[in-house]
Amino acid sequence: MTRWLNQHRYALAVALRRLLHQPFSSLCNILVISLSLAVPIVVAAVLDTARPVVSQLPVSAEVTLYLERSAAAGTAQTLGTELQQRHPDEIESVEVITRDQALAQLRARPAWSDALAVLPDNPLPDAIVVTLHQHPDIAQTTDRLSREWRELKGVDMVQVDSAWVQRLQSMLDFLRMGLWMLAMGVAVVVLATVFNTVRLQALTQREEIAIARLVGATESFVRRPFLYLGALTGLLSSALAVAIAWGALQPLGTAINRLASSYGTELALRLPDGFSLLLAGVVVAILGSLSARWSVYRNTHF
Amino acid sequence: MIEFQHVFKSYGRGRNILADVNFRIEPGEFVFVSGPSGAGKSTLLKLIGGLEPPSRGATLINGHRSDRMPARARPYLRRAVGVILQDTHLLYDRSAIQNVLLPLAVTGHSPAQSLSRARAAMEKVGLAGKEDLNPIEMSGGEQQRLAIARAIVNRPSILIADEPTANLDEESARRIMDVFRDFNRVGVTTLIASHDLSLMADYARRTMRIEAGRFTDMPGV
Repeated sequence: MTRWLNQHRYALAVALRRLLHQPFSSLCNILVISLSLAVPIVVAAVLDTARPVVSQLPVSAEVTLYLERSAAAGTAQTLGTELQQRHPDEIESVEVITRDQALAQLRARPAWSDALAVLPDNPLPDAIVVTLHQHPDIAQTTDRLSREWRELKGVDMVQVDSAWVQRLQSMLDFLRMGLWMLAMGVAVVVLATVFNTVRLQALTQREEIAIARLVGATESFVRRPFLYLGALTGLLSSALAVAIAWGALQPLGTAINRLASSYGTELALRLPDGFSLLLAGVVVAILGSLSARWSVYRNTHF
Repeated sequence: MIEFQHVFKSYGRGRNILADVNFRIEPGEFVFVSGPSGAGKSTLLKLIGGLEPPSRGATLINGHRSDRMPARARPYLRRAVGVILQDTHLLYDRSAIQNVLLPLAVTGHSPAQSLSRARAAMEKVGLAGKEDLNPIEMSGGEQQRLAIARAIVNRPSILIADEPTANLDEESARRIMDVFRDFNRVGVTTLIASHDLSLMADYARRTMRIEAGRFTDMPGV
């Protein structure tokens, strides 16, 4: 056990020595990986910030049908019932707001009461507020039904109340998917960079490897420093990537906060939580080791 | 103990470098392998050192069939055989003592123990006080002795050397041979490939002659 630990200590020391032996080259490799890693971290930070804000917005799909002002009393109630019977799978609830109820609601607001007082008659139409069931294809369903209802007799206008929220939600979903694809792309960058670094190191250390084999080194002994090199490169790159992402989020956060305050809300861009970052760092270190193992296996057969 | 039984060695479909080689070397023997260049001396030493497997035949090192050893077990055999090649294969990016420390790192010795053993090995070959020199600052004879220190630091039971005195002046060559003799005196089986007849006359207790891959003269066998 002590010998095994000594061998690992030696491998770690050799890996550090190799990293420090060519500081500029090592730094360049680490910088390439960390810049690639910083991009998904920033995107994740933006998504993390946007997610709670979006989730607070009313995301239920509501469609309001405004009837023609000439429509007879009771038409709204009849049409509402008819719609519910025709689309039981899509419609969750129907609420009829008659023109008198709408006027009463407006009059209750002090800002409107004076304006409405000078009008000779009620300018508002009867309205039917339809709430649809939530499901993944809600955007398409809303679009299809609103087009269909526009053609109904007596309907003057159809308004999709939550369309923009749906679009925002879809955009976030798209971004989330994009983040995963970006993460996979970054994984490829990590694998390729570490593979190439280890390949060059293995070629540089050819003589040392040959001598180590001559004096009885096992293949594990030969490969171990390279695995540490891959893991160290991954860990250092992750740490630097977090620092770069933090630096990038500062001006971005100020800009986004300025925009949010114009909408009367507050947004604070911040890094993903520490555990997620630590986990990502470990994953990158493991990827670095795997890549190093693959590279050293291919490049030390001499 | 080293024993070869009907050993053949060839590369690809080329001619046999070694053909039907048979011999046995008892523990603690001091043996010279002589023969002209290209006769197969180096190949023989590589087979003994477990650096290459034979094409055919049985090779026994310390009672183990090295020809049947799986690749993953061969490094452990190499630790029992100290190898000194004609080209010293020293690492010039580190000090002399760091060269000697490498085999101890392979076997997982602690840093303190390694340092003490490496110093002792350098002292045994007459390089005390030169631990921090870079090998490139050393003479040819000193570099050869440094290679010997690296080969013996893990206390192998067999020491093999391929033309260790080639390109050295007579005084340096004799110092190297004295080092081998000292190790042999404490029981290390020593096998040296050389074509230096005067050295053989002074040091050899047994000489094996190899020519065109065959042993043509094996006194003492």
